[in-house]
Amino acid sequence: MAAALVAVLLPRHPNAALSLAAGQILAAANFFFLTRLVKLFTGAVVAPTRTTGDWMRAKGFLVGTAKFVIVYGGAFAVLQWRGAEFLPLVAGLSMPLLALVLKSIMLAFSAGDAHSSRRATTTAAPARSSAKLAATILIAGLLALPVAVRAFAQDHGAGDAATATEVGAPLTEEPAAAEREQAEAAHTDATHAEGAHDGGEHEGGGEHLPNWVTIANDYFPDAPVVRWMHDNEYLVFAWLAGFLFLGLTWIGMRKPSPVPGQLQNAIEWIIESMEDVCGGMLGRHLHKYFPFIMAIFFYILMMNLIGIIPGLKSSTSTLDVTLALALVTFLYVQISGVINLGPLGYLDHLAGSPRDIVGFAMLPVMIPVHILGELVKPVSLSCRLFGNIFGEDTLIVVFVGVAALCLKASLVALAVPPMAGITALFMLLQTLTAIVQALIFALLTTVYLYMMLPHEAHGHEESGHAH
Amino acid sequence: MNFAATLGLALPIGIGLAAIGSGIGLGFMGRGAMEAMGRQPEALPKIQVAMIIGFGFIEALTIYAFVTMFFLQGKIQ
Repeated sequence: MAAALVAVLLPRHPNAALSLAAGQILAAANFFFLTRLVKLFTGAVVAPTRTTGDWMRAKGFLVGTAKFVIVYGGAFAVLQWRGAEFLPLVAGLSMPLLALVLKSIMLAFSAGDAHSSRRATTTAAPARSSAKLAATILIAGLLALPVAVRAFAQDHGAGDAATATEVGAPLTEEPAAAEREQAEAAHTDATHAEGAHDGGEHEGGGEHLPNWVTIANDYFPDAPVVRWMHDNEYLVFAWLAGFLFLGLTWIGMRKPSPVPGQLQNAIEWIIESMEDVCGGMLGRHLHKYFPFIMAIFFYILMMNLIGIIPGLKSSTSTLDVTLALALVTFLYVQISGVINLGPLGYLDHLAGSPRDIVGFAMLPVMIPVHILGELVKPVSLSCRLFGNIFGEDTLIVVFVGVAALCLKASLVALAVPPMAGITALFMLLQTLTAIVQALIFALLTTVYLYMMLPHEAHGHEESGHAH
Repeated sequence: MNFAATLGLALPIGIGLAAIGSGIGLGFMGRGAMEAMGRQPEALPKIQVAMIIGFGFIEALTIYAFVTMFFLQGKIQ
């Protein structure tokens, strides 16, 4: 992939392509030497064989020196070379990092190894695999949804926000989001003009970090495919997340074995713990709703996590996508409520289940309150997800922007080490936020579904939380 | 004092107020959950799930203020 990128860039932007290649080679060399060093030292600690201390130290010294000379010398040489462009170099450097981040995410997921591998052999596999199948189908359906919402938002524009009662609240947000997106697009266009001559250094004051799509747009502004991808970049990354998840699960669950491998173990661990949590609330209804909940969960999780990888973007940091997800959840909950309670039971639920004369007297008050309570759910769900992810992204953009500012003022010593540390810290925080927000979205879906179930002690006071 | 200046003063203060409220709420919630966990360690998963859901609800209030800020931010010129 990297070589193809270089080859594509080479004829028109030789400098950028060379920088990209140089960055990749540097990063590869860096990783190679780092691996050697780590293996050397851990190997000595883990398995102290006949290797004498002197020899090991000498070898470590040798490798370390070689690394210093080649990697940092190379870096300095590249930095001194006038033709080098900053952005492609960083892009090339971050490419092996991408693989590393993916790997570490997978490692983080399989942290439950020790106890889940023992459980995994005993639990029933068929039910889970069918749930997986349903979940993947649902995800494929969900992938198409942001398209529909976008088209909807563009059709209606800012006009009839007040007309429809049911989608009234979402609609007021939609044009705002669409407008903001257009403003962002205009912004990147504006920076494109000036970014062309100073090496694409527009990470500074922008609203978001550059990703592959904006970079591609900078280099090929005329290609229609790139143009479309730039206009719908959230869609592109949402699809990417969906297909990434589909690929990961397909690889992981291709041949499910009783003794699970790493990936299968990770997936099974997530699904089983979610099964425990949701099963506590939904009880015997779990098997009906679990595929939907997990589809939502994994889709949001992938979209959130994809934003951590440099050059990619969380599509959940736009209201379009989160609103689509929340509307799907809303409709699903309402429809399942009608199915579960029956039309009359559903109306009864909306009326607050009046059983005595006071209940019927309160009817004109209770019905609007309950309808409002239902309508507020998608708004609350989508705003929460959007706000959290967007906030984290903005934090990282601000810190990277400070680093870029220091770089511009050639305060490299001030810019790189502390800022890299701070950014890494916030990326840790972002991972946490991504997982917790996906979890909260899925759990709230579960709670809403639970409130629509025929249930004896069916707490109506819970709908008060949704405000 | 014009509109933009008012907005520029009010938005950060609004977020701060929302954060104060959410912080107090989260503190109560966390304290309750911790006490419950200490009293009944065997009910830990259930308490944790309820706690996370509650955190979500409380935290959403600050997020609303945050989102409002982002919507109105463009008007400060």
